[in-house]
Amino acid sequence: MKKKNLSARFIGKFSSIQSVIFATVAVLVLSAVVIVTGVSMRFTNNSIFENSSEYTHTIIQQMNQNIDSYIDYMENIAYLISSNEDVQDYLFADEIDNEGRYRILNQFQTILDSRSDIRNVGIISKNGRMLINDGSKSVNQDLDLNTQEWYAKALKSPNGPMLTSSHVQHIISGERPWVITLSRGIRDRSGSGQKEGVFFIDLNYSAISELCDQSTVGTKGYAFILDAKGNIVYHPQQQQLYNELQTENISLIMDTDEDTVLTGTGNNGKLYSISRSDKTGWTVVDCTSVRELLSKSRQAQSVYVLTAIVLVIVALLFSRFMARSITLPIQKLRDSMKKVQEGDFSVSDVVVDSKNEIGSLTKSFDVMTHRIQELMEQNVHEQEEKRKSELKALQSQINPHFLYNTLDSIIWMAEGKKNEEVVLMTASLARLLRQSISNEDEVVPIANEVEYARGYLTIQKMRYKDKLEFQIDVDSSILYIPLIKLVLQPIIENAIYHGLKYKESKGLLIVKGFMRNGNAVLQVIDDGVGMDEETLAHIYDKHKVNYHSNGVGVYNVQKRLKLYYGDDYGITYESEKGKGTTATITIPGRQEGQL
Amino acid sequence: MKKQKKWLSILLVVCLVAGIGGGVWYRQKKIEERKLSLIYIPKVVDKTNDFWKSLILGSKMAAQEYNAAIEVKAPSEENDVERQNELLREAIEENPDAILFSPSSFTESNALLEEAKKKGIRISFIDSYTEEPVQDLTVATDNLEAGERLGRFAASLLEPDDQIAIVAHVKGVSTAVEREEGFRKGLGDLADNIVEVVYCDSQYEKSRKLTLELMDKYPNLKMVAGMNEYSSVGAARAVKSAGAKDRIQVVGIDSSQEAVQLMENGVFKGLVVQKAFKMGYMGVKETVLMLRGKSYEKNVNSGCELVTPENMYTSEIEKLLFPFNTLKLS
Repeated sequence: MKKKNLSARFIGKFSSIQSVIFATVAVLVLSAVVIVTGVSMRFTNNSIFENSSEYTHTIIQQMNQNIDSYIDYMENIAYLISSNEDVQDYLFADEIDNEGRYRILNQFQTILDSRSDIRNVGIISKNGRMLINDGSKSVNQDLDLNTQEWYAKALKSPNGPMLTSSHVQHIISGERPWVITLSRGIRDRSGSGQKEGVFFIDLNYSAISELCDQSTVGTKGYAFILDAKGNIVYHPQQQQLYNELQTENISLIMDTDEDTVLTGTGNNGKLYSISRSDKTGWTVVDCTSVRELLSKSRQAQSVYVLTAIVLVIVALLFSRFMARSITLPIQKLRDSMKKVQEGDFSVSDVVVDSKNEIGSLTKSFDVMTHRIQELMEQNVHEQEEKRKSELKALQSQINPHFLYNTLDSIIWMAEGKKNEEVVLMTASLARLLRQSISNEDEVVPIANEVEYARGYLTIQKMRYKDKLEFQIDVDSSILYIPLIKLVLQPIIENAIYHGLKYKESKGLLIVKGFMRNGNAVLQVIDDGVGMDEETLAHIYDKHKVNYHSNGVGVYNVQKRLKLYYGDDYGITYESEKGKGTTATITIPGRQEGQL
Repeated sequence: MKKQKKWLSILLVVCLVAGIGGGVWYRQKKIEERKLSLIYIPKVVDKTNDFWKSLILGSKMAAQEYNAAIEVKAPSEENDVERQNELLREAIEENPDAILFSPSSFTESNALLEEAKKKGIRISFIDSYTEEPVQDLTVATDNLEAGERLGRFAASLLEPDDQIAIVAHVKGVSTAVEREEGFRKGLGDLADNIVEVVYCDSQYEKSRKLTLELMDKYPNLKMVAGMNEYSSVGAARAVKSAGAKDRIQVVGIDSSQEAVQLMENGVFKGLVVQKAFKMGYMGVKETVLMLRGKSYEKNVNSGCELVTPENMYTSEIEKLLFPFNTLKLS
């Protein structure tokens, strides 16, 4: 119930069903599109994100392996050189064998020539003997080697080579490059058996940076390497980082156990893919900008949004079209209903093609209006019929009292041997009877009515011998104008019974007929007692039934005249108490089907 | 019908807003992506001088990173004001988006800089500034601070009565004036022991000669302080060649390969090193930010660090002293 109220209130806000449908469909479609777009965007985001992070992680693992094998290769070189007899001899023998020195330099030269990523290669012993590169570079005499990590640690470390991450190599004067150093202690096999010398290779960054560059994802992605302590081994923006112009969230990377870490928020975030090497202890990290990762999904998203916009526009147009197509027949129906309500049945045929509820509603409405129209027509017809049959019934009868009185008068006259009068009266009666029986028509010429009135007056005059005199003066020009039956006689009867009957002296009744202003006028003038104004005012009342004349009173005559000829026509009464009454019947002078 | 018109107008407004928004966004992007043209005029380009090398490297790296083209026009001698002004005039004719300038003179370049300004070229000062504040932004070491740090360190090496001499680079130049002022402040009471201030015009040889003269003039001289790379290294050379490194302590500002070597050798007892790379980098970065209409710093102090024989091999100092050149210049 509450819900209904709500929806009703919602619908009530709009002035038409069309706008309700439009608004509803629009809202539904809009929200559906927004939700679907949002969900799919979210989904795309996530899946692209996951795919990318998996992909980068695979790449970074690959890179880690490459670096491992790269270092492996360098360790092999270190091993080869360290175990070389010539190296032993050169570093630890009492006398320097120049041929051995030459062979070592040769070896170094081969290494340096074949690999551009090796900056320096050299051997140093505690006793101060050293051989670096081609042996021609001047060694930095001011440098205390024990302060150098790569040297000190290689001597201390019990076995194997050791890796010193990015540092400055000070050993050659005038050159202080940043390098990664692989160093290995050399045992004096013929002497103490302890580590008395160091072999080292300085790696410049060309190989490593190449490896890192190969592993970058996207244009803004980059890879970098951290050592076990979290120091930077290589970073494409190493110099910037060293000068605090860039930051990298190193502690986050070192502390996490995950393969991927997301840092920063939203578009400014970075996705770190981490791979640690057991061999070098290094951590290889690939950094991808979230913005770039999302730019792929953003492309997809913009397609979604575009599609959504097109969909919404289409949906809006469609909903408008739909709302129209639904409500247009309703509007048509409403309009024609309004007309029907106003009584105009002419437009009731609403043409609706649709077969839905509205179609059947319209059809029903059409059927209904047709039925109503039929019923109304039928009603009018029936009323007419009824009136006619009533009239017929009236016409077909002569008031039994009148008949009885007349016959009584005839008997009296016959007994009084008044043969002529009997003949006249009987003839008049016969004429009256014939007229009332014979004529089936509703309308007769005025002449007939006048004849009928004459017959009636003749009989009445004979009954009230000394009381009634009459004149009939009807202009011949109106004699054939049609008049509905039983108009004149009831008015005359009324004049006799209400006007003349109560007059003590002989009364005169005049029937006049003439044309006036294009109308035919019949006047019944008596000089009876007349009527006062009150009686005159009630003369057309229904209850004033004239019992003497078949119940056809002034009311009935007036009604029939108005019905038949229209409101402009009918009877009017003029009367003066004690002077007489004039009844004027006016009908149109020209009628269709004039006889 | 009225309702539909309302809907239609709402739709239209939405479309319009979207269109305008897109246009603005596109324009913004266009502005951002345009490669900016910058010209940097340092005081000098000299293979031996690590300060300017690092600074230029920094500016180039930042230019590459921030989508700008940078051209470096430099005199081959530091105190060559005329040549620098000539280069400045050339630069103005090229009509770049901005000129980054390290004025050698406190006064001589003002007219030209005003002219550049009138042409709509933005001016950024790097390392030094001029009398007139024509610049849009300045990136420099706080030279007072640099001098003061050196002064404090020097004070820790000295006895109360030890004599001190200063070898400065160019008389009147902002860096020289401020460093000396800071140095005196850092020395505290010992500032009274400064016997003389000489100017080497940023020439090694002149600095060396002046130092030798000072050593002759003041036999009890205990310390020589250089105010830039040329003066420091020149002084150190003199002390080293005289075999007086244990008698006379040399401290200075700025470093070079030679300076580092001299420190390893024990001549230099301390060097205050400017963050040259950072200075060049920040200079370009802030200039680009300014040109792109973003928020930028008007005055940047790039900072400095004290290097001593004890800390010179630590990672932090190595990072500062030796540029890690990852710039792949094509």
